[in-house]
Amino acid sequence: MMKKILFPSLLLLSFSFGNSQEPKKQDVNFTKRILENTEIRFLSSYYSQNGENAAVTGGLGTEALTDATGTIIVSIPLTADDVLTINAGVSAYTSASSSNVSPFDGQQEADPFVASTGASSADTWVNMTGTYSHSSKDRNEIVAATVGVSKEYDYTSFSFGGSYRKLFNQKNTELSISATAYLDKWDAIYPIELRPFGIDGIGFFRPTEIRGSSNYKPYFKELENTNRNSYIVGLGFSQILHKQIQGALALDLVQQEGLLSTPFQRVYFADIADTFIENFQLADAIERLPDTRFKVALGGRLHGYLNEVLMVRTYYRFYKDSWGISAHTANVEIPIKITNTITLYPSYRWYKQTAADYFNLFETGLSTDTFYTSDYDLSKYTARQMGFGISYTDILTKTQLWKLGFKSIDLKYYNYSRDTSFSFNIVTAGITFLVQ
Amino acid sequence: MIPRYFILVSFIICLVSSCVIVKGYEKIAISDPDMKLSDTPCDQNVTVAHAYREAASGAGDGKMGGGCGCN
Repeated sequence: MMKKILFPSLLLLSFSFGNSQEPKKQDVNFTKRILENTEIRFLSSYYSQNGENAAVTGGLGTEALTDATGTIIVSIPLTADDVLTINAGVSAYTSASSSNVSPFDGQQEADPFVASTGASSADTWVNMTGTYSHSSKDRNEIVAATVGVSKEYDYTSFSFGGSYRKLFNQKNTELSISATAYLDKWDAIYPIELRPFGIDGIGFFRPTEIRGSSNYKPYFKELENTNRNSYIVGLGFSQILHKQIQGALALDLVQQEGLLSTPFQRVYFADIADTFIENFQLADAIERLPDTRFKVALGGRLHGYLNEVLMVRTYYRFYKDSWGISAHTANVEIPIKITNTITLYPSYRWYKQTAADYFNLFETGLSTDTFYTSDYDLSKYTARQMGFGISYTDILTKTQLWKLGFKSIDLKYYNYSRDTSFSFNIVTAGITFLVQ
Repeated sequence: MIPRYFILVSFIICLVSSCVIVKGYEKIAISDPDMKLSDTPCDQNVTVAHAYREAASGAGDGKMGGGCGCN
């Protein structure tokens, strides 16, 4: 009788012991690769903005701008633990306000609300960033290093940085720290009427064509330091709160030094008599801002499934800086999974900021002020953004294009408007392939 | 003021309840790409637009590094 009970029990025990050992063998011998295949993502967008408060023309003038951007992002698995990601983009834009750095093109009467045809009416921005990341064997630690460069006609930027992420608590908790430095340089371009008053300038500008005050003597001195350095430290904490909910907190600290104003943005003072050529008021000065700025931002995200179809992605961020600006950003997106492959993305975003201490409306600042700007991006305003997107995902990459397996396609549209005159529309599209 | 406290308290309650560890095999929903705690990749250029036009941008998003964003 004893044998009858003991034998099946031992057999069962040996099976269960054997089974319990099996996963451990797998854990030791098999480590899932961070990225199985090379992934290629193409992104493109078309952006169009309008407004009547261009900073180039002292807070009064057209802000019409269009921009077309193409980006390619390639993620390459170098080993089971290492991934290299290259992000390269080209952006071509036309800007009515930039064109009015030099509004006297001889084609039409110069006017802050009319774009000129000068060289500054269009430019191209190119950018390339490389990120190398390494994950530990247990996938609880990730180290990454990033270098980047971007260039447009009058601005060059070089960046480098690193990050470290540590997962705890059976990968339910994550802490991260990151640091990045941007070393930028302006090739300063000034409003055309100010150039004769710079170094080696002739000291006057088209005196026979001037209307209004005939004694045109702007407050202008060429900038000595055209470098702009930015140093960023980020701290992050994320936590899985439930099988269907997770959240994150992030703190960003930013210190900036150098030329933080824009050399071709005009300012008009209340205590200086106006001078015109054609319909264009000549600048009293270029904007002048402090050469340091400290920013702090604290943000949080909460993402979760409401049911099998509806998700909610929420985001909130509080911001404050040493120029007197504080801001709140709130965003909610509700992905709707209408099938296993198709998701809709309605979204709403709200943003509010206070004005910088140095902001003045058109012709309200004084020439005796130490710092001044009429850039409405530094003014007090509230903005609202409505968005809608659609995504199709083929997890099994059944559709093949040469050696590329189609993975997903996304299309999104956003409409953004401030309670001032400014608004923009943007359409973005992304398509992702896996190299088979 | 009440909504702020409500959000804060809700968040703390959720945080405390996280003492229950979600196992790897229970993370099907968490692994959904839409659950990722960042902007979706398709929104990269929208984020740049915000960085250009809003004062509350970080460096590197365009306006204050990586491009002047001054148009």
